[in-house]
Amino acid sequence: MNGVEQSFIGGIEGGTAILLPALGELIGELSGVINLGTEGCMLAGALGAYATAVVTGSALLGILGGLVAGAFFGLIHGYMTVNRRADQLASGLVVWFLALGLTSVFGTGYVNDSISPLSIISIPVLSKIPWIGPIFFRHDILVYISYILVVVLVVGLKRTRAGLLLRATGERPEVVGVAGSRPALIQIVAVTLGAGLAGVGGAQLSVGYVGNWFDDMTSGYGFIAVAVVLFAAWKPLWVMLGSYLFGIVLAASSVLQAHGIAVNQYLLDALPYVATLLALIAVSKKGGSNAPEALTRALTDTT
Amino acid sequence: MSIVSPPSVGGDLSPVESSIQDAKSKFGLRKIMKTYPMGVPLLGAYIGSFGLFGAIALLRGANPFGVFGAMLQSSVLNVGSIEQVILRAVPIALAALAVSVPARAGLVNVGGEGQLIMGAVAAAGVGIVMGSSYPGPLVWIAMAIAGALGGGLWAGISAFLRTKMGANEAVTTLLMNFVANDVMLYLIYQPWRDKFSSGQPQSQPLPHSSQLPSLFGSQLNVGVVVALLLAVLTWYLVRKSHWGFALRVVGGNQEAARRAGLPIARLMISSMVVGGALAGLGGMLNFAGLEYQLVPGITATFGYVAFLASWLGRHDPIKVVLASLVFSAIALSGNGIQLSYGLDGSIVDVLLALIVMAPLFLSKTRKALTK
Repeated sequence: MNGVEQSFIGGIEGGTAILLPALGELIGELSGVINLGTEGCMLAGALGAYATAVVTGSALLGILGGLVAGAFFGLIHGYMTVNRRADQLASGLVVWFLALGLTSVFGTGYVNDSISPLSIISIPVLSKIPWIGPIFFRHDILVYISYILVVVLVVGLKRTRAGLLLRATGERPEVVGVAGSRPALIQIVAVTLGAGLAGVGGAQLSVGYVGNWFDDMTSGYGFIAVAVVLFAAWKPLWVMLGSYLFGIVLAASSVLQAHGIAVNQYLLDALPYVATLLALIAVSKKGGSNAPEALTRALTDTT
Repeated sequence: MSIVSPPSVGGDLSPVESSIQDAKSKFGLRKIMKTYPMGVPLLGAYIGSFGLFGAIALLRGANPFGVFGAMLQSSVLNVGSIEQVILRAVPIALAALAVSVPARAGLVNVGGEGQLIMGAVAAAGVGIVMGSSYPGPLVWIAMAIAGALGGGLWAGISAFLRTKMGANEAVTTLLMNFVANDVMLYLIYQPWRDKFSSGQPQSQPLPHSSQLPSLFGSQLNVGVVVALLLAVLTWYLVRKSHWGFALRVVGGNQEAARRAGLPIARLMISSMVVGGALAGLGGMLNFAGLEYQLVPGITATFGYVAFLASWLGRHDPIKVVLASLVFSAIALSGNGIQLSYGLDGSIVDVLLALIVMAPLFLSKTRKALTK
């Protein structure tokens, strides 16, 4: 196995911990709510999953714990921003700090516990394909779930009533209201669901890729997820690509170090952010971005 | 707003009735409600915040009142702690003002963290290059200029991207935080690494002669005075100067600003650069007055705390500085909890979050009142 292949395998595995929260953030942003607290929801999910796995002995049940823990913090953000009309950025940061503090306080007991992490499932036939197989088809279950989720979103956002309603809410909530649906409810559900996915992303770290719990273990993955959604200009396939790009760069630097190649990983780490900035500029310059209108309004009116 | 009982009210009432009403409205709840319509709900919400925090402490087996006592003890109940609170408030307050100034022009700066870092990095670069071969005051001034430039330019990039390319500044400033952090880590791990230290990588230390002098033998240093002066200057610029007024017009109604012939792009960029320079100076003062070395996590999320402080102070420079002091005290009070209760010190992040949550929770009420 060479370094490139290793970087790609780690990139998919770690990138999934970015992809799941990013898909969640995509759903929330399409409904018109940005969640800077994604990092916090991930942390909560990571601890929720780990604690559940420790207590029940099942990493699979841990995924569920992660989902619930993430969704709980998403519900707070949704209630604050939609029902109480709080500033989205401030509320997001508050959710992050809340989760940061709570997971430190309630997580100390689990630092020394160990679990058996999610097992690696090799897909028959597909995993035998040279190069492609090991990279894409020898992973834990969450990686496959994320594949399915991307397909569901690609099709669902364009072709289903729910997808249309979601996107309409993000553009013109008033119109959705007049048409007889409840935009506030749609937004809260979208944010909560999105944060639940962020929690599952946290689970991918704690009971999957890393297989451990420690304080502040998501170390910025949640913020990367928010960046990826912007990089992708709200398109699910691009979210996938962006997540893997970040994942591969993060994995590559540790692979390079393991091979004793003296690169400074931090310049490498900055690359995806710079790429995201460039992508943003390109999108904005093309004549107005395709950002959901309600989201743009929420970001510019921060009173 | 200040007229509480207009004289005409008593017109068709008997003298006794009207005097009773006067007395009621002068001293009663009604008067308070009228002058500070948000006062009572806010007070209630804050009590709720502290109550929730106490409940969480109780859940972890700690006596809430004891916890509050320990927090006060380690933050404001002795001189040494108060000095620490003021010292830590310097970067928070300046990064918070960096949010407030652009906010006047309707810009959202989430990049306090990155601007603090770049200010510290620029100051450290100058400090390392000049070494101990120049007199202290000269190095201080050079570092301050470098810090202001570092933070100002870093913020200026986002302002430029907003005005020339239409890229949302809230998003670009956030992204720039991570780039700044990686730039700093790169410098710490390679070119600027302190070869004489083992363990955690850090930059070469600032020579003793270049460190900011302390005030009257206390832990405080000259940086505190500088920060205070900068806060006053910001208040003047924002509230009293022509420039500050122009920013408000741009932030309030861009169409009106355009028709009045104001240079909107230039005003927006200048507000962001001034803000970034303030944060950069905050990073420089923190580096030259307290840390003396670049270390990973030097900003300790102060940039984000600052965003919340600016928001809590409603972007008003005086209130923003007060909010920064409160947050600094809360951040520091974690030590006391850890020492006397064995609870993880990060529990203070929960209190910080809950305190900001109180006014956030009341956003709808406030918006209804200001309509």
